[in-house]
Amino acid sequence: MDAASASPAVRTDGLTKHYGQVRALEALSLEVSRGEVFGFLGPNGAGKSTTIRILLGFLHPSAGSASVLGLDAVAESVQIRRHIGYLPGGIAMYDSLSGNDALDYLADLQGQPPVRREELCERLSMPASVRRRRIRDYSRGMRQKMGIIQALQHDPELAILDEPTEGLDPLMQQAFYSILEDLRAAGRTVFMSSHILSEVERVCDRVAIIRTGRLMALHSVDELLARRKRHVQLRWRGSVPDLSGVPGLADVVIEGDRMTGTLQGDVAPFVRTVASPSLVDLIIEPARLEEAFLEYYAEDLEGDVPPDRPGKEARA
Amino acid sequence: MSWPLFWRTLAWNRVRLLVVAIAAFGWGVLIPVIYVSFSEAIRELANSGFFPREMMSFGSGDFFSVPGAMTLGLQHPMAIAFVALFAIAPPIASVAGERERGTLEVLLSRPISRRRHFAVLAVAVLLILAVVVAALILGELAGAMAVGIADELDLGQVPLVFANGLLMWSAFGAFSLAASVSFDRVAPAMGLSLAYLLANYFLEILGSLWTDVAWTQEYSLFHRFNAGEVLQGKADPLDFAILAVATVVPLAVGLFVYPRRDLAAPA
Repeated sequence: MDAASASPAVRTDGLTKHYGQVRALEALSLEVSRGEVFGFLGPNGAGKSTTIRILLGFLHPSAGSASVLGLDAVAESVQIRRHIGYLPGGIAMYDSLSGNDALDYLADLQGQPPVRREELCERLSMPASVRRRRIRDYSRGMRQKMGIIQALQHDPELAILDEPTEGLDPLMQQAFYSILEDLRAAGRTVFMSSHILSEVERVCDRVAIIRTGRLMALHSVDELLARRKRHVQLRWRGSVPDLSGVPGLADVVIEGDRMTGTLQGDVAPFVRTVASPSLVDLIIEPARLEEAFLEYYAEDLEGDVPPDRPGKEARA
Repeated sequence: MSWPLFWRTLAWNRVRLLVVAIAAFGWGVLIPVIYVSFSEAIRELANSGFFPREMMSFGSGDFFSVPGAMTLGLQHPMAIAFVALFAIAPPIASVAGERERGTLEVLLSRPISRRRHFAVLAVAVLLILAVVVAALILGELAGAMAVGIADELDLGQVPLVFANGLLMWSAFGAFSLAASVSFDRVAPAMGLSLAYLLANYFLEILGSLWTDVAWTQEYSLFHRFNAGEVLQGKADPLDFAILAVATVVPLAVGLFVYPRRDLAAPA
């Protein structure tokens, strides 16, 4: 295994991008391992697209460095693009071409045979009859499917996907998730940005959360969820027992026979404590990535990342 | 060379190129016919003194000689429109247009350097311009043969006329390409390219119609393409050198600017 193939799929080190006074990206350091599906989360203007565009060589960093598949994102951009597939956010395609002609053109430019095209077209319901039509006649969802196909048709080592399910109906979203699973199984790396937290939670191995160009968190999805507080509710026959000793239980509110609260960490001690014939109902809501995400944005974090936040411990 | 990009650029222009090349050829054929039909009358009108002689010429062309008529045919607004369409539209559409439509990032996510992209477009634009300029000149030659005045032309000089014309239009094409890679939107790139062309044309025509400001022609690229003089074996190497510089400088600027530009996400 040479140095390039042993290197991470994506690595940024102090990556910074300023547009005049505007700080689009500030000292972003992260690594994406080969073979993982990596989610890149953040609201509009957080710096997701800026990061992706630096990785592709569209933007030049103001400071710091970035490498993709062991190749420098600035000096070796062309070599990088031989090995990747890219789906831009809100993709635009060549309206005057038919779907087939556009895919052929982009495959020719890529210089690699479109070995996965037919399979992707089948899974994304883009039959030959549709691909014979001009793209100008396509719906937004069909354009998005074309975008996914053009990005993956040559079976790239790394897929960089910006908002990949934007405009897809739920059925096609499921088909796309299944394609992602196959990519993961084949050892391909996926670097995707998304606004859809349930999607990221479902398909990603790890997640980076950025805010105003800074890395706020970089964790596995499981790790991130484990840190979240679950909402718990229980209804009791008679008076609610004393739960003050349950580790991780907080925000307890008791109203008659009902108790609500939040639970952080292991649920077993809580369940053991409340397990009783007097328990009428128990609801433990699953931890959602959305809450984790919102927590990072609920606070005003204009200064440095707090020491307890993983931003500075982020390199995995 | 990225052949898919090259052929696609040509393919996107093939229909209008065919139509305009046919129209340009037809226009070229008309010029000798007009010369044969009206040159005597125009010469008499000029000799009558009713109109100042300067008013009887247009740019570096006139209807007092076959070479003069050939020049006029190539500097007439109709001919300018034919060629300018391709000196401006394809270069602007190829970069600023793709950027505005959002397709440039799909293209540049392929393993093509921006320098190569620029170079391929420059070659494609040059080829397109060569077709239109050739159509104009061949049309004039065909017309001259049809009306029996071809023997008044030194046909051996025709390749040099073609080279001179192509070089001049390449200068405008190169400028448009440089403008195209410098802007994210079509309107400013198109506006700048059009302004550059019109300013050059204005200086040439102004100087030809108003002798007091004849010096303005020296500053026009159109003045560096005088088919009549070339046909008479009086080609000025300085004209070729100036046009070559006017072509190379925008190309160098484009090759410098384009790879260094930040291509931020489309608005």
